[in-house]
Amino acid sequence: MTIARTAGISTAILATLLSSVAHAEGTLNLLTWEGYADPSYVTQFEQETGCKVNATYVGSNDDFAPKLMAGGGVFDLITPSLDTTKLMIDLDLVEPVDTAKITAWGDLYPTLTSLDAIQKDGQIYGVPYTWGGIVLMYRTDAFTTPPESIADLWNPDLKGKVSIWDDKSSIYLAARKNGDMNIYSLSDEQIAAAQQALVEQKPLVRKYWATAGELVDLYKSGEIVISNTWAGNQASILKRAGIDMTEFVPKEGAEGWVDIWMVVKDTPNLDCAYKYLNMQLSPLGQCAIANINTASVANPVAAKSCMSPEQFVELHQDDPGYLERLMVWQSLGDRYEAYANAWNAVKAQ
Amino acid sequence: MTAIIELDHLSKHYSPAIIGVDDISLSVGDGEFLTLLGPSGCGKSTLLRMIGGFEEPTAGTIRLAGQDVTALPPYRRAINMVFQDYALFPHMTVGRNVAYGLKLLGCSELEIRTRVYDALKLVGLYDKLKLYPHQLSGGQRQRIALARAIVRRPKVLLLDEPLSALDAKLREQMQTELKRLQEKVGITFIMVTHDQTEALVMSDQIVVMEKGRIAQKGTPQQLYDHPASIYVANFIGTTTFLPGAVEAADQTTARIALGGGEIAANIDRPFARGERVTIGLRPEKIRILAEGETAANVLAGRVSEVIYYGLGLRLGVTLADGSRIFADLLLPDTLARSQVPPVGLAVRLAVAPHNVFVFAGEEAA
Amino acid sequence: MSALRRHLPAVLVLGIPLAWIVLFMLLPYGILATYSFWLKKYPTFVPAFQFGNYLTLFTDPQYVLVLLRTIKISLLVCLASLLLAYPFAWFLVYRCRSAQIRTWLYMAVIAPLWISYLLRAYIWKTILGTEGVLNSFLIWAGIIETPSSIFLYNQFSMVVTLTYIFIPFMVMPIYTALEKIPANLNEASADLGLGPWRSFWRVTVPLSMPGVAAGFTLTFCLSFGDFVAPFLVGGPDGNLIANVITTQFGSALNWPLGSALSVVMLVVVLGVVSLGDRVERRSAAGGF
Repeated sequence: MTIARTAGISTAILATLLSSVAHAEGTLNLLTWEGYADPSYVTQFEQETGCKVNATYVGSNDDFAPKLMAGGGVFDLITPSLDTTKLMIDLDLVEPVDTAKITAWGDLYPTLTSLDAIQKDGQIYGVPYTWGGIVLMYRTDAFTTPPESIADLWNPDLKGKVSIWDDKSSIYLAARKNGDMNIYSLSDEQIAAAQQALVEQKPLVRKYWATAGELVDLYKSGEIVISNTWAGNQASILKRAGIDMTEFVPKEGAEGWVDIWMVVKDTPNLDCAYKYLNMQLSPLGQCAIANINTASVANPVAAKSCMSPEQFVELHQDDPGYLERLMVWQSLGDRYEAYANAWNAVKAQ
Repeated sequence: MTAIIELDHLSKHYSPAIIGVDDISLSVGDGEFLTLLGPSGCGKSTLLRMIGGFEEPTAGTIRLAGQDVTALPPYRRAINMVFQDYALFPHMTVGRNVAYGLKLLGCSELEIRTRVYDALKLVGLYDKLKLYPHQLSGGQRQRIALARAIVRRPKVLLLDEPLSALDAKLREQMQTELKRLQEKVGITFIMVTHDQTEALVMSDQIVVMEKGRIAQKGTPQQLYDHPASIYVANFIGTTTFLPGAVEAADQTTARIALGGGEIAANIDRPFARGERVTIGLRPEKIRILAEGETAANVLAGRVSEVIYYGLGLRLGVTLADGSRIFADLLLPDTLARSQVPPVGLAVRLAVAPHNVFVFAGEEAA
Repeated sequence: MSALRRHLPAVLVLGIPLAWIVLFMLLPYGILATYSFWLKKYPTFVPAFQFGNYLTLFTDPQYVLVLLRTIKISLLVCLASLLLAYPFAWFLVYRCRSAQIRTWLYMAVIAPLWISYLLRAYIWKTILGTEGVLNSFLIWAGIIETPSSIFLYNQFSMVVTLTYIFIPFMVMPIYTALEKIPANLNEASADLGLGPWRSFWRVTVPLSMPGVAAGFTLTFCLSFGDFVAPFLVGGPDGNLIANVITTQFGSALNWPLGSALSVVMLVVVLGVVSLGDRVERRSAAGGF
């Protein structure tokens, strides 16, 4: 989950062209988000371990399955978000992780290491890396009474000034607005109700945002005043551009996303792969990604050692309860289609 | 005969340097077949297009049946045109091509049918009603273009090189056919051509044009027998030109000294003694004298060239001073091949004084 | 051996394009068609032969809705392109006396083709946006007082953008068709008593139909398959069929349904192409 999504379609097309990188001994091929193989730590990693790192970037979580299904054994490591990890496991594209080889495994938030979506048959398939909330934000100068609820995205006074993420998570949002808090196990009726609420919201929506960059642009060009957002990420970019944003966790709660490192099945570079994972969970990797994406990280111990106290607080690393309160994404399993279909139906209207 | 078209000091100057038509005044009689004849670039097509309304004159007026039409667009003139490559509408059948201009005349459906039928029958192509232009031969297309133009019963029909796209045989056939058609419908035809035979065969009046101006206007016979200038004599028929000087002249006759002899000629204007002139002789008007025969004008020379052209022979005869004239010799059936004059034979040529053209000055070319 | 060597040039000349067509066109279409009968089954899909996907497409209103919307948008783009391109091409052919100016104007329309599609689409965002060039102009001109949001993120902006992007494909064939009409046909029409306006409708328009048909076909097919304009300038009601296909092959991981959609799309496009072809050939043969 990174600003890399700005690049959107062109990156995805480029990625397809570049994905024909050869599988080579001692060379790690990553299929990941931009920033997750940043030179600021990769160069050092390569020098220390002798493992070469080759990164191919994705534009969306939807890219992982098609690329791995079509490309065969090219990639060694991937970083799907939590809503896609279960699919990777069920598609038999990844192999279990030997947590004993992950030095910092014990330091990670237990909430993350015990996530259902990275397990199958008692085995762990993923290493949590970085996370954040999906909260709401608004232009501070556009409101006299601060909004505090998801329902504010349905406020008729904001006609044409609202944007929400072009993602099936809109169903989660609408369900909570309807008072359905079991957002990962909604019944057909609840999904239909959420779909209905989103259809009613359409006249208020200026545009569904697809990439972080697009959301930033929508605020910058004065098109919208309120939206959901990846906590910390777009707001910090907008602040740097001189637009005062306020982020808030709505009273209906916020979802949480987590990006997970997974090991592609039968990789010949297992050794380098584990070295890379350990580096990513070390202070070097954790603080680098926290700085690049303004996102919270999975290893609070490492974070404490490398972050300033202010940053440590700002990214909620000091408060394990913050993470607990987030409704962290869960696998939808075979209910996935019902959610996705409902969201597509909304967009089709 | 009343005039149907009157051109009054009509000019088309594209620029001060490029002159299409220069100050032409011309009157065309009703029911006349008039031909504008001249080489390409002489302004004949421009003149025709101005009458049709496709070009705007820079000066002068055009009157059609007494009415000034100079400023009217083509679609407001009771004039129709047969275009050089026919300009049939490729997306319409023959029937619809011919009927094209009728609906606007306010004709009823029945009248349109009748008139299309009549026009196509006139050109003998009624059975082609449902065909498209690309399914017709060149000659058929030509006749459809004609039918399309006359079906509107214009006061004047303009024809821009109507036969130039046809092969020689068909062209000859169409010449008489066109002439017959014109006589039948009684419409004034103004045709542009660069082909003198076409002009002579079809026209009542011929206007020979030179550099945007009228060189001579007259009946075919007048033009052929009394060309007003070297240019006209050169353009119509075949003429041999010889330089000469006037020896003696009265009101009607003159004696002219040539390099290779002396010749008498009828004249219609006075010439001064000693004036340099050019005489013109038509090969078919020159007779080869038999042994002992005498005539008014005799020129002696030797046969230097024999050209066989089926109908007869054309002999090139070199005179004493080296100048050469041509004389035609018809070959009657009885004349045996052995009697064809051999090259080098001494011959005497005779020409009647009224068949000698006398032009002032020397030949330009 | 010698026979092979003798025929080698012919084999290469004919064989390479043929192999290309089979390998990169027919084979993928075949695979696509095959997938369209498969069955979606979590986590992916399984081989089958059933018409469930097609049934879904025609019973679930969301697909019919998007299909109809895509056809509507494409037709509007064609219409807008035609209304702009035809007078422009006509002006170039009949009224622009200077060959040099004509070339320049023609190039001005064609030149944007050399610029990246994304950039061209993106430019319209900056023109039509709430704080964009158009709004600034309207406020400056005193026509509106506050910026309007009606220009961007809706079907209007998609039609504007797509028209801009695809109009060269309308101008080129119409220009060529008009240029091919012999000048004396219009003169003949005037000669037969029809004024310029009537002549235009009875001569110029029917004879330029092959160009219009070609332009219409090209523009329609290009718009019909577009998925970038909805992404960049489309609003919440801007989903087109290509976007739905992207979703089916991507996040929905429902390749069978996506394939079925693609096949339907292919049928529509082929239908339009053959229709355009028929109009072109009929008018070229003179059978209008």
